[in-house]
Amino acid sequence: MHAARNLRLCTKDCVCLFICPTGATNTETGQIDFDKCLDGCRLCVDACPSGAIYLISSTYPNPQAKSDAMTEILFALAGSKALQEDLARSIALESDDPALRRICKVIEMSNRIIAEDLWRESGYIIAQSDATSRLLEAMLAEHGAEEGFPVEAVQALLNDRR
Amino acid sequence: MKYSKIPPFVWYTALNDHRKEAIVDADVRQMTWTELAAVCTNLEKACTKQLRGEEAATFAKLASFYEERRAATGDAALQQLLALIDADLTGAYRAANEVAAADEDRGSKRALLWGEKATKLLKSLLARYEKQGAKLTENTGVFVCEICGFVYVGDAAPEVCPICKVPSFKIHPVRKEAI
Repeated sequence: MHAARNLRLCTKDCVCLFICPTGATNTETGQIDFDKCLDGCRLCVDACPSGAIYLISSTYPNPQAKSDAMTEILFALAGSKALQEDLARSIALESDDPALRRICKVIEMSNRIIAEDLWRESGYIIAQSDATSRLLEAMLAEHGAEEGFPVEAVQALLNDRR
Repeated sequence: MKYSKIPPFVWYTALNDHRKEAIVDADVRQMTWTELAAVCTNLEKACTKQLRGEEAATFAKLASFYEERRAATGDAALQQLLALIDADLTGAYRAANEVAAADEDRGSKRALLWGEKATKLLKSLLARYEKQGAKLTENTGVFVCEICGFVYVGDAAPEVCPICKVPSFKIHPVRKEAI
């Protein structure tokens, strides 16, 4: 568990610099040095007058289980949104009309975002979930040999989970 | 089962053609390139929020890998989009809400509530475009909320997203193409 700074909230009162025992809060990027930060120390979190520092966990629980019927219908809806994204993208690609392309771009973006939320509810909310691990294994088995597939990075992700 | 039988998703049969080239998930589920890309961009966002930059970059690479495999759907038309939107609004959301209610699954209820509202706005956007054409967006901004997919046509994004209540800095303009 390490501290992190929300730069949008930080009011540069520097109290975290006064109190940090390792100097982790004082960096040129404005973000805390996660390697220097002491696990679970939270002195800076409690000292910050603006509530701009929070703790990031190093482990995460599996998402809440859903009924099969719920998962099934969330997948069906996510599939419909993906198809709508594909249609909007295709219409934009084939059109000469900039106004139509802009409308389709918006529809494409919106459908991606709605779909992401449905996937989130279907077990893919975090990289650390069992569903994500199974999917990464399947991707690796199916597409790992193809050009452009980030094999080593995916293997590293899976090794972290095992 | 606590809930009534879910109606068959006749309107989603078109999806099956679409899944030809898709991979088989360990849960024996076929997913299209776009579905895989969306799972990956979502996980990229989750990693970013966990401040895990390297892992976020891996999911971004995976998303691009799958997006590059997509081909354009031939003879795509706004009517097809409208038909899918109507199917979602008249069938799928109702059925999904029924299951979520029976399961007392508040997470799904939330996602369905936001998604259904955003979908209604997409329908109204298409209806307005069909009436007004290019005039609809000629001298005005178009915005999308990065959290829930809320769309807005107007000069400035609302201060708070009316669907998910996120502040306006997460509601982004979709610019006109540079000429």
